[in-house]
Amino acid sequence: MEEKGRIGIPRALMFYRYFPLWKVFFEELGWRVIVSDGLGKRGKLVYFEDSCLPMKLLITHSMDLKEKVDHLFIPRLVSLHRSYIMCPKFRGAPDIVRLATEGTVSILDETIDLRMREHSTLRALLKTGKRLGVTEKDGKRAFQKAERFFLNFQKGWEDRINGLPLKQVFHLESPAPAKNEEKPFRVAFIGHPYNLFDTDVNKDILSFARSLGMRIITPDGLSEKEINAQVSEFSKEIYWSSGREIVGSLFHFLSGGVDGVVFLTSFKCGIDALLQEFIRRRLKLKGGVSIPLLVLSLDEHSGREGLTTRLEAFRDVIEQQKIRNPKHEIRNNPK
Amino acid sequence: MKVTFPHLGTMHIFCKAIAETAQIPYVVPPETSRKTLTLGALHSNESICLPFKIILGNFIEALQLGADTIVMVGSGPPCRLGLYDLVQKVILEDMGLRYRWLTIPPRLTWQAIWKNYEETKELKKELSWKNILLFPYGLRMGWKKMMACEALEKLAMKVRPREVQKGETQKRLKKALSGVDEARTLRMLDETLQRGTALLQETEQDFSRAPLKIAIVGELYTVMDPHINRGVEQKLGELGAEVTRTSWFSTHILRSLRKNKADQTSERIRFFEASKAYLGYDVGAECNLSIGEAIVRSQDGYDGVVHLMPFACMPETTASGILTRVGKDWDIPILTLILDEQEIEGRIQTLLEAFVEMLQWKRKAA
Repeated sequence: MEEKGRIGIPRALMFYRYFPLWKVFFEELGWRVIVSDGLGKRGKLVYFEDSCLPMKLLITHSMDLKEKVDHLFIPRLVSLHRSYIMCPKFRGAPDIVRLATEGTVSILDETIDLRMREHSTLRALLKTGKRLGVTEKDGKRAFQKAERFFLNFQKGWEDRINGLPLKQVFHLESPAPAKNEEKPFRVAFIGHPYNLFDTDVNKDILSFARSLGMRIITPDGLSEKEINAQVSEFSKEIYWSSGREIVGSLFHFLSGGVDGVVFLTSFKCGIDALLQEFIRRRLKLKGGVSIPLLVLSLDEHSGREGLTTRLEAFRDVIEQQKIRNPKHEIRNNPK
Repeated sequence: MKVTFPHLGTMHIFCKAIAETAQIPYVVPPETSRKTLTLGALHSNESICLPFKIILGNFIEALQLGADTIVMVGSGPPCRLGLYDLVQKVILEDMGLRYRWLTIPPRLTWQAIWKNYEETKELKKELSWKNILLFPYGLRMGWKKMMACEALEKLAMKVRPREVQKGETQKRLKKALSGVDEARTLRMLDETLQRGTALLQETEQDFSRAPLKIAIVGELYTVMDPHINRGVEQKLGELGAEVTRTSWFSTHILRSLRKNKADQTSERIRFFEASKAYLGYDVGAECNLSIGEAIVRSQDGYDGVVHLMPFACMPETTASGILTRVGKDWDIPILTLILDEQEIEGRIQTLLEAFVEMLQWKRKAA
C-alpha cells in the first residue's frame, strides 16, 4: 500500500501502554507512524506549563515531532475504564499541546471515555479515521487487527520487559524473547506506566534493577479482579483508574509473591501524592509489612546516581530478608 | 456528641449557626493560624494541595479541643477534593485521634444518601427530638447568616479601594461579621445586617478615586478563604483596586443543588462557553471557569486578573498554562499566585504591589 502520510505519536503518557494498538491501527490504514526520539542525556525540556515531568515530556516530544509529521495523534483520554477516570490533566493535554505548538500542526484529539459507549476506543479511532478519510469498514478491520496484535503484545509483556534492552521494549519488530534467565529476586515495580517505562523519567532504573539480579514484575500482568481484591473496602471511593491500579497492585504484591516492591512516582503528581499518604498510613495501621517497600520520587532534576544508590541498598535489604527467613513467601500467605 | 467543621472563609459561621440553632453541641476550631498550617503540613506530604493541609489542621485542633464528630462537605471527581475524606480519615486514625465522620453529599445521588444514612445511624441516637425538630430552622438560619456575610463582604470589596484611612474597612467588616455570627434570631440577624451595612457605608471614602478593577479567579477554596490566600482580596483592595470574584459558598451550594436559575450560575455558563476557544473539554473543578472568566472580564473592561491556585493543584495547573496565552491574546494582565505552606505573605504583598502599579501604568498609557 502506498504511504498516505505521516502520523506522529509523542513518546509520552499513555504511549507506554497503548502504543502497539495505535501504531498497528494507523499502519493498517496505510499511514506511516513516526515516534519521537527519547530525550537522551542532552535533550532539553520544553517548559510550557508548570506540571509534572510526564506532562512536560508530552509537550517536549510533540514539539520535536511537529515539523516531521502531517498529524499528531494525542487522544483526549478522559477515562480508560468503564467506571473510573484518568487524571484531569489528561483532559486538557491536547489543548495544551495545541497552544504550545501554536497551531502549526493538526492534532487528532478524539475523546476516549470508556464510561460512555459513543466514546469507546473503537469509536474514537473510527472518528479519527474519518478525519483521515478512511471508510468505516476499513477502520473496523484495522481496529480488529490492531486489537489482536495488542492483546498478543500484552501477553509477552513480562518477557519483553525482562529480556529486551529497555529502549527496545516498544520496538514492535523485535520479537519477545522466549525464555529469560532465572533471577534471584522477584521485585514488583509499581506506578503509572509512563513513570515505569519512560527512561527519561526514571533514568533507566529498570535496566539497572535487572543488572542487580531482579526480575521485574509490573502491575500490567494483574487481572482486574486481583487488583480489586485489595481495594474492595474503599473501592468506590478511589475514582482514578490509575490510582486504583497503584493502590490495588501495591497491596496485592505486599501480601506476598514477591521479594520487594518499588513504587515510582513523579514529583507533583497529584494522584500519587494523595495516595502515597494513604498507603503509608494504612500499612502502618495494619501493623506494617514484612516485604520491603521503596518509594522513589522522580523529576527532571533527579540524578541516576542517587537512584542507583538507593536501589542497591534496597537489593541488600531484600537479600538480608531472604537469608533471615528463606520461607517468608510462605509466611506471608498463611492460607 | 460535639460537632466540628472546617474554617473555610465564612463557612464556619454557616455551620455554627445550624448547630447553635438546633441546639447541637459544637466546637469551632481555633482560627486558622501558622500552627494550624504547620500541623496540617506535618501530617501530609509536600505535593498535597494547601486546602487539604489547612482543613486537616483545623480538624486536628478541633479534636484536641474535645470535638468528636467531623462534618465535612464532600465533593466529586475528577480533582483531589473528592478523596479528602478518605485520606484524612486514615491520617487522623493513624494519629490516634478518635472521631466520627459525616459527609455532606455534594450531589444528591442514591449512593450519597446511602452513605449519609450509614454515617448518621449512630449519630441519630444521640440527637433528641428537639434537635431534629429545630434542624430545618437551623438550616434556614445558617443560610440567612451566610447570605448576610456574603452581602457584607461584597460591600466591603466596593468600599475598600475608596477608604481614606487604610485598613478601616477591614476593621469594620470584622465587627459586622462577628455581629452576624452572634445574632440569635432571624429578626436580630436582619437588624445586625442593617447595622453592619450602615457601618461599612459610613467608612470615610474618597469618591473622586477611580479604582482599578481586578477579578480574582481560581481554585475555589483558595479564592474563598483569606487564610489560604493570605488575604489577597484585602491586600488588593487596600492597594486601591476594586475586586470581584464569582466563587462564593452560596454559588457552589446552589450549583450542587442544581438550582441553576440564579444569575450567578448563568454567569458561570457564560464563562464556560468563553473557555471553549482554548479548552475542548471540561477539565473539572474550576479550570474552565478560570480561563473563561479571564476572557469575559477582559471583554468587560477589567484592568487585570489574579489567578489563585494551590501548589500542585491538578486542574488549575492546566489552567495556568493556558492563562499565560489568554493574557497575551486578550491583552489583559494575569498574575498567577501559587500557594503552599511557605511563609510568603511578604512576597505576595510585593507581587501584588508591583502588579497594581503595572496596571496603573497600563491605564495611563491607554
